[in-house]
Amino acid sequence: MRQEIFVRRHQAEWVALEQWLDARGDSARKARAHRRDWHGLADHEMPARYRRLCQQLALARRRGYSAVVTERLQQLMQRGHSVLYRTPAPRWRRAVEFVLAGFPRLVRAEKGVMLAAMLLFVLPLVAMYTAIQIQPDLSSALYDPVQLAGFEDMYDPNDPQRALGRDNGTDVAMFGFYIWNNISIGFKVFASGMLVGLGPILALANEGIRAGAVAGHLQAVGHGDPFWRFVCGHAAFELTAIVIAGGAGLRLGLNLIAPGQRRRIDALVEGGRRGALLSVGVLVMLLVAAFIEAFWSSIGWMPATVKYSVAAVLWSAVFVWLLAGGRNRRHAESSP
Amino acid sequence: MLDTYREVVTPEGVALHLPAAGPVPRALAWAIDLAIRIAVLVVASMVLALLGTAGFGPYAVLMFVVFWFYPVLFEVLDRGRTPGKRALGLRVIAANGAPVGWLAAFTRNLLRTVDMLPFGYATGLVASLTDPWGRRLGDMVAGTLVVHDARPHEPQAAPVGAALAPAVPLRPHEQAALVAFAERGPQLTQERQVELADIAEPLVQARGPLAVARLYGIANWLLGRRG
Repeated sequence: MRQEIFVRRHQAEWVALEQWLDARGDSARKARAHRRDWHGLADHEMPARYRRLCQQLALARRRGYSAVVTERLQQLMQRGHSVLYRTPAPRWRRAVEFVLAGFPRLVRAEKGVMLAAMLLFVLPLVAMYTAIQIQPDLSSALYDPVQLAGFEDMYDPNDPQRALGRDNGTDVAMFGFYIWNNISIGFKVFASGMLVGLGPILALANEGIRAGAVAGHLQAVGHGDPFWRFVCGHAAFELTAIVIAGGAGLRLGLNLIAPGQRRRIDALVEGGRRGALLSVGVLVMLLVAAFIEAFWSSIGWMPATVKYSVAAVLWSAVFVWLLAGGRNRRHAESSP
Repeated sequence: MLDTYREVVTPEGVALHLPAAGPVPRALAWAIDLAIRIAVLVVASMVLALLGTAGFGPYAVLMFVVFWFYPVLFEVLDRGRTPGKRALGLRVIAANGAPVGWLAAFTRNLLRTVDMLPFGYATGLVASLTDPWGRRLGDMVAGTLVVHDARPHEPQAAPVGAALAPAVPLRPHEQAALVAFAERGPQLTQERQVELADIAEPLVQARGPLAVARLYGIANWLLGRRG
């Protein structure tokens, strides 16, 4: 068939599809809102029309029609493709489901790396803490005296009026600071897993050592009580989140080193997908942690029993959530 | 590595044409985005400074959003284009040609942390120079691709004229060449048209403007415009 005849025969279809893409292809929400005003090609016919167009494009290429036809069909096809294969809009219900069930399931599915990340963090922390109890001078090897004095100042038991754990700044200011600082650290710990897993290993061990040193030093100089009252609450979310971010990073690094039966790129994509999902959960956890840290942990006058009871509730909540969340769902897919 | 044109076959059996973008336009787009981000933060800091120390809280939250989520939001909501990419005619898409989704956009921007190392996106530059489609590490992990937008130029239809049957049967690639000449010829100078038409002298048995006219005639015949 000659090109002109081909064009004449199918022109109307192409124009109809073009009009549909112009009017309704942009946003699904807009298309739904204006569905009564639209009298062109019906929405449910679009996939069939699109496939027809693909066939016509293949035919046009095969028959060697000129650029006027093939370019036009190609552009129509690419536009149709990007409408037909776009990712569905996120739904709030799905987001809530993910936080309550999908995320804990994903954490449990990555049990191995999560445990490894936990050990990488907890062992240096405990070791450093214990070492400083035995040999208090060790803390000055990690921090200079000005910093140590700063820490001591933040948790001064002789100054019951001060807000715990900060130099100055209001609750709101500190809330913003914790979001910026802590969540950025969480994201970086995950992403650095791309450095063959070395990033999370170094970051977790480093964080463990520094946290252990601060805790050990404050305990050794007798500022332990305000310090523990400050950290016990938000640590439930903050430390767990950092460990999970580290675990996600280790998974990415492991997939890079040992892709198994997959192509390395496929293993990486899978590690990246899971890591990004885990990072979403880490983001939520650190938001909660920042809120607790800014508005609850810093209250200096609160008696220790209240602080520790709340902390016990928070820690149990985190562990129940991570260990039991999403277990009872029968239709739980293997991957959220 | 020199051919950055990528063809992805869709489930319908036709090929998507994806011209992958190299590091230079992407770096320029990034610089534009950086300028916009800094401008937003500077303006916000001036406004929030009026609130005193309490203003630091919202400012830090804004800094967090602008640093981590500015590209994610634009890439998903504006069909793969941050303002910088839009200015440079670039677009982020999934490797299978579909529009980029939330998770992929989030992944590729999280992994910027690694591409930035050790300074100035050096890792990303090396990765995108060695990858056939110019992907940085974040793109590989997220399964995305940065491509040039389709050029806006529309091919012109060949001018309609009297059809002229060719003296000898033409092979497919010869037919394609003649039609392409008829479609693109009107954009060339008269001298260049004549120069090109003279090459086809054995076919049209003429030189000069007559050869051009005859070539147009054959093209019309090939397109099926038999009057």
